[in-house]
Amino acid sequence: MRRKLIEHIGSIAFVALIFALVILFLKDREASDRRARAELVAPYLKLPSVDFGNPRDRALFRETLDLFRPRSRAANDSLMKAIEAYRMAQFTDPGMKTGTGDRGLSWPAVRRLSGMYVRFIIVYAIVLGLTFYAAQTLAMIRFVRMKQGRSSYCAEFLGRAKAWNRPEAGLSRRAGVVPVLVPLFKALAKGIAYAVLFSPAYVIGYALRAGFEMDSVLFMIVLGVVSNGLLVNYANKFYTLLVAESRKGYVETALVKNLSGVYAWNSPEGISYRSLLRLPRRFPGHVLQHVYLNARHQYFPTLKEQASFLITGLIIIEMALNIQGHLCYELLQNILYRRYDIALTIILGIFVLVKVTEILVDLRQHREERRYENRG
Amino acid sequence: MVINNLSFDIEIAAEGKLIVDIRDFSLERGRVTFLLGESGIGKSLISRALYGLLDPAELTVTVNSRPYPEYTAGESVREIQRQGFFVFQEPSSHLNPLMTLGDQLREGTLARATDRSEVLHALWEGADERDLGSILDVYPKPYRPSGGEKQRILLAMALEKIDMRPPSEDRSPEGLFVFDEPSGSLDNHYRNLFLDLLFDRFRKRPFTALVITHDYSMISRVTRTNWDVMDRVDFRELARRRGKLVMNDFEPRTYTGWVEGLRRSTESGLDDPDRKPVLVVEPFLEVFGRRLVVTRDVEGQQPARLTVPRGAMVYLKAPSGTGKTTLVKRVMGLIPGGTFEAKLKDIRLTGTTPRTFWHERIWGRSMTMVFQHADEALNLHSTMRETLLGLPVREPLTTERMTRLAGELFDGDEVGDLLGKKVRMLSGGQKQRLNLLRALALLTDVLILDEPLNGLDFESSTRVIDMLHRKMHAGMGLLVISHNEEIFDALAGVDGTYYLHAGQ
Amino acid sequence: MKIAANTMARIRLAFLSSQHARWAVLWFAGMAVLLGWDLLFLNRPALAQIQTALLNSLVGGFLVVLFSMVLGWLSALGLHYLEQGGNRTSYLLLTFSLNLLRSLPQIIGILLGYVVLTILILQDVLRAPILQVVSMSFVVSLFVFLEVSDLIRERIGHYRALDFFDAMLCCGIKESRIINTEILRKNSLAHLVHKAVAVFGMAVFLQCSIDFIISVGLSTEVSSTNFPATLGSVLARMDSKQDILAIGMVFTDVSYITALAFRHLQGINIAFIIVFTLVCTYNIANGLVRRYHL
Repeated sequence: MRRKLIEHIGSIAFVALIFALVILFLKDREASDRRARAELVAPYLKLPSVDFGNPRDRALFRETLDLFRPRSRAANDSLMKAIEAYRMAQFTDPGMKTGTGDRGLSWPAVRRLSGMYVRFIIVYAIVLGLTFYAAQTLAMIRFVRMKQGRSSYCAEFLGRAKAWNRPEAGLSRRAGVVPVLVPLFKALAKGIAYAVLFSPAYVIGYALRAGFEMDSVLFMIVLGVVSNGLLVNYANKFYTLLVAESRKGYVETALVKNLSGVYAWNSPEGISYRSLLRLPRRFPGHVLQHVYLNARHQYFPTLKEQASFLITGLIIIEMALNIQGHLCYELLQNILYRRYDIALTIILGIFVLVKVTEILVDLRQHREERRYENRG
Repeated sequence: MVINNLSFDIEIAAEGKLIVDIRDFSLERGRVTFLLGESGIGKSLISRALYGLLDPAELTVTVNSRPYPEYTAGESVREIQRQGFFVFQEPSSHLNPLMTLGDQLREGTLARATDRSEVLHALWEGADERDLGSILDVYPKPYRPSGGEKQRILLAMALEKIDMRPPSEDRSPEGLFVFDEPSGSLDNHYRNLFLDLLFDRFRKRPFTALVITHDYSMISRVTRTNWDVMDRVDFRELARRRGKLVMNDFEPRTYTGWVEGLRRSTESGLDDPDRKPVLVVEPFLEVFGRRLVVTRDVEGQQPARLTVPRGAMVYLKAPSGTGKTTLVKRVMGLIPGGTFEAKLKDIRLTGTTPRTFWHERIWGRSMTMVFQHADEALNLHSTMRETLLGLPVREPLTTERMTRLAGELFDGDEVGDLLGKKVRMLSGGQKQRLNLLRALALLTDVLILDEPLNGLDFESSTRVIDMLHRKMHAGMGLLVISHNEEIFDALAGVDGTYYLHAGQ
Repeated sequence: MKIAANTMARIRLAFLSSQHARWAVLWFAGMAVLLGWDLLFLNRPALAQIQTALLNSLVGGFLVVLFSMVLGWLSALGLHYLEQGGNRTSYLLLTFSLNLLRSLPQIIGILLGYVVLTILILQDVLRAPILQVVSMSFVVSLFVFLEVSDLIRERIGHYRALDFFDAMLCCGIKESRIINTEILRKNSLAHLVHKAVAVFGMAVFLQCSIDFIISVGLSTEVSSTNFPATLGSVLARMDSKQDILAIGMVFTDVSYITALAFRHLQGINIAFIIVFTLVCTYNIANGLVRRYHL
């Protein structure tokens, strides 16, 4: 465990160092770039007869350049571009304005970012907890239905439709056409649910933009849990674990000790919906207790990848939906306007968040392992 | 109980393919039936089917032409499950790793058992409460407690259930108790202990027991110590004849007579004092931080070099968990490091010999090893031919040579079909024979064998022993680990037996 | 005639019982229906654009799978041989770097990679569109290949824990042959195909997302039109966004669905293609798991 801890903290330090070096390097390069450009362009700007704000003057100047240096068209091109860029920068680049304090990482900026960072962490923690619970619940419902031998809704519909068509099914006709159509509706509902769960956040977000307040924390949480395929993928992982554990030998031994192996919904020996939803989940006298505990023990480490994927999802939400005042939108803006120092600081913050989650998961897993390996 | 000398016609299919098809599988009430036969033939599947444990979603089962859910819903099966117990084959995977052994002993219907400490004290003879507590309060990890201890926990559960049967006036046999390879992880000492406990209870109040095993030496033990109840004990062998499964009676004398013959032929075969040693291992070793000592005596007082002469067999014995497999892997160079010194022909091997040396000079050329589980040692997705093809043999194996080689362990007429078959389609016994064949094709000077008779039925065992004899005559040196003490004691003789102990 | 009927019956049985084949066919069918609808109701320039975007996205996805498989295989083998060879420091260094990569959220890594690509485009290094698609896919694969690497390591580890590896070594079989032929080719092909399908789904998701995000541009001098058109970038255009916004109108006025189906086709098309591809990929992967007991 100590080795893992050292590795985690070491990677935070390493990344922080790299970022600091990159920021210093970029700042340095930018400053020298700016100086070089200014030196290149300055003599031309000082020409008294040329007014670069006037398009006619610019065209004349361009033609003069071509006359003087007919063989270096590309160089003339880039010189014109450089002059344009320099003139633009004088208006837009805050670093060239006077009296604006330093751009980039200043204390007011840090304070502003910290507020956004805290909000990000809160949303992250809530979404992580909700997804952890919801993925397991969905997986368990799917597992129990699989054990009950229920076929897919489509197959059920086709089966009932075929039975309805046969002449000896006179009895079922009396019940009407509704029981035949019910599984079809269920299948459609499941299809729509899948479409929503798999949609990338921006599709859902834009679809609902008209009706919802986009930068509310609640909206972000719901979107974070439901979209980007997060819930489905992790429910699937847990389901796979449940299936794998249910095939293991100790389940057979439990059956032979007369624990129940019946998965029916409405049976005293079976499973109830409430027991699946309630926390902590317990299934006394049923083999599902064994299967669930073992699957959960193995599932816990995947919380690390889940955290990373979840953050990817949250970043996509904030960036794609252009939610102002949120951390990741700031990140995108800073990259766009080349304020790399702020951008890298935000990225470092996100990296630290992932690492802290990993450390906590590893600590808990270590404690569990020690217990189950009889080391106290 | 309602299974009254019924015979069962059982069919089990997976994904449309028939895996088990047997007519007249009979289980007689109030008797102990030993079911022998090679592994993978279907003994476990049939017993599970009878007990009502198979999953209809994965396998299509019919019992006496009735679909499986109908059979399991029947009163007879419910009765079996209420009163009986099933001890499964691999103890490690049949215990929940997240529950202490004590809790697992007290679970389900076993919570009502009253004689738990009595059963545990019997199986852990000489252990006081503290020792037992230290075993029961642990979680089952892969190597601690040992496989044997885990197996004893499962057997304890079965014995508790036997004692839990409600009293009845007419002493009629109650309960079906199935033991699938109960001695697989046990040393002979504990195996015999368990058999004694089982038969004690059987004498007091009979039940129906089915013991599945391929440890034929159990026959000797049972006939010797329980001659008074032998009229209620059956030995049956499950075999495949022309694609169908049949159950035949197995005459104990077939086995005991054969072992006698082996013993006599070994004693009469004069020891050649000029037999040169081909492998010599220094007696003191350290592997994975464990110290091991090789001795010539059971008590462990006479350390000696483990010497494998040409043309002879050496049998290494030790209680399970001591480290026989670890030692043998160290000798094979599979575990690097530690304290180790040996001489193979004139090649000196130590703990620091580099891996590339083992690759180029030893593995597959001077020394090779046959591992215990053929399922793991072979690539199940290769065909038999492909398994024999990739080997670094001096002369390439043509089909003709391969057929001749295979004919040593397989029937001549079936070899042609078998060569093109995928390994996972072979039976357990066939896989084990292929496992051996692959090593024999290499024609090394030394052959190490870990449980070579694992999973074989009687006929295959005799063929394997014959073949080992032939290889010994041809000059190969053999080092064997096996819990078939009877057979290998007879083969190696006193001179060829060494013991392994944990060192200081 | 009878043979033909038999084979048809057998193909139908195999098809109905295999979830992955069903969903693969369903994907093609869905795309075909969509194409038919578009030919009737969508203007040709928009349709051509969607087709180019779809092609670029699919090619990009396949390239990501290819690069991830190669990178994953190389890194897994590298780790294995370093560990065997006893080269402890190199092994620790490589593991450390890979763990670092693993902890970085994928989208951030891809974003940084695209920043680098933008700089390269600005400096005229990457001019041809095909080269750009290949570079974009390579960047995405850098943050996805670890899954493949983990799978291969896990398969090798599984067989090393059994007697398999040792038994083959003792028979003199070369280690590279044990890993590549015996373990990977003969015993892990289904696992690798399943992982390839999952990686494809992930690639489509990540590429669409990153293209959508950078639609506003990663530099004031380079706009996303410099990158090849993909599903994400076409979705991010104003007209497509309007179409998606229109979906929201259905909640207030259900009859608006007809307008969606006819008038807002461009955005709906892309959204449908993305979501449908992701759903089909997921179900194909699940079908493979069920069929091959992974």
